[in-house]
Amino acid sequence: MNLKGISGRLSAKRYASPAVLIVAWELVGRLGLVDPFFLPAPTRILGSMWSLVLNGELFRHMSVSLYRSLGGYFLALVLGLGFGVLICWSRRAEDILDPVFELLRPVSTLGLVPLVIIWFGIGNGSKIAIVLKACFFPILLNTVAGIKGVNLKLIHAARSLGASEYQIWTKVIFPAALPVIFTGMRISTAISMMSIVGVEMLAADSGLGFMIVDAQRLFDTTRMFVGIITLSVLGFCMDYAARMLQKRFVGWHADSLAAGKI
Amino acid sequence: MALIDARKVGKVYANRNGEPTAALEDFTLEVEANEFVGIVGPSGCGKTTFLMLVAGLETLTSGELFLEDQPVEGPDPRHAIVFQEFLLFPWRTVRQNVEFGPEVRGVSREKRRQIVDGYISLVGLEGFEDRYPHELSGGMRQKAAIARALANEPRVLLMDEPFASLDALTRETLQQELLRIWQQTEATVLFVTHSISEAVFLSDRVVVMGPRPGKIRGVARIGLPRPRKREILTSPEFMGYERHIRELVWDESQRN
Repeated sequence: MNLKGISGRLSAKRYASPAVLIVAWELVGRLGLVDPFFLPAPTRILGSMWSLVLNGELFRHMSVSLYRSLGGYFLALVLGLGFGVLICWSRRAEDILDPVFELLRPVSTLGLVPLVIIWFGIGNGSKIAIVLKACFFPILLNTVAGIKGVNLKLIHAARSLGASEYQIWTKVIFPAALPVIFTGMRISTAISMMSIVGVEMLAADSGLGFMIVDAQRLFDTTRMFVGIITLSVLGFCMDYAARMLQKRFVGWHADSLAAGKI
Repeated sequence: MALIDARKVGKVYANRNGEPTAALEDFTLEVEANEFVGIVGPSGCGKTTFLMLVAGLETLTSGELFLEDQPVEGPDPRHAIVFQEFLLFPWRTVRQNVEFGPEVRGVSREKRRQIVDGYISLVGLEGFEDRYPHELSGGMRQKAAIARALANEPRVLLMDEPFASLDALTRETLQQELLRIWQQTEATVLFVTHSISEAVFLSDRVVVMGPRPGKIRGVARIGLPRPRKREILTSPEFMGYERHIRELVWDESQRN
């Protein structure tokens, strides 16, 4: 994974082309080349965003969406790590759990929405359940792959140095598997945002997904853009946070691979 | 009393098809305390298997194996292994790697620091304590691995072709370093290699093994004076020992 590529080279050159694009977009709006109903100018979007910030509406939708997606994500993290460790630790647990998970994994997340609404209602419960379903499998699969991929000889080395079975898990297997586990966690951060928007668009009365669909019903394109941009910024921030955590905790891994030198 | 006492040790593996394959047969060897014993033999002769049995990482299928008169039953911090692939923990710095043994055995932080500092300076890695393994050269990684093994203050240092993946010059340097370290510690060394000259240069005794199933073909006592310097590599005595062991290996190989 290239950790330095995107965040490291923050030169003016990198900002040039997006800036040109935004200026062009603004001009298209100002000169009336495209109906603002289809493509409102960036300044108009910012204006609308500012008023939604002032009346608290944007923050309300955003915090609802964040609560649901982070809630589902952390549940998925706990369960994914827990079941992943269990599957690797016990052959019997693997024999029992693996077929069940393989059966559930291909089930379409958004296809489950109507059912989940009946089970958990229209509120936060159903949203968290959907995010959980979407985020669980990448974390589980990467946890299992990470642990099963640990070099057996590294475990031998630790055992010969006197490590107990418990210490082998906490001091060898877990740190050695962490880079792969992190990959699953990062995939799931993106998925948590995607799935929360999906489910909020289908059935919700709050949240950024709802805000966008609601704006569509009112033919308020500007507000739709506000929602879309807010989601993108949130997604970027979450991935940035995940990347920083990754650098902090498994920096040794990236540094020892080609990515650290490119 | 011998430190390591192997009596007719045998190890039979089940191969992929479930058929038994003997890796080691009737292996009898006594190793005295502070002795440096080299084990040479062709690939797959069972020399590494013997090391793994002594380390307690494999279980024997016949015979008896004692460390200080107690049967070997699983891994034991009294013997430490140095592997060909170094097998340092890549997420730990040199210091943290060397510290691993004392840490898992519950040695206090201050004591640990003292032990670790001592062995890092013994292997000559001062100034590199906070580097990660991937920031070190191959030779330095293996020095760190040796320090990590020694930090447990083992009775026996088991070395499984430790210098095989290093370049020839680094290898010569580390051989000298190892002899110096061995003389400064009280460790007994079992050193597996497929290099005859390495075995002769380092060892008090060289155990020669034949091809599968692994049996001892002969043991040569190396009477070269210590401390040994690089110059002896070209002495007639050294070459005499080398020739003797080579003949032992080839003679026995051809008979099979």
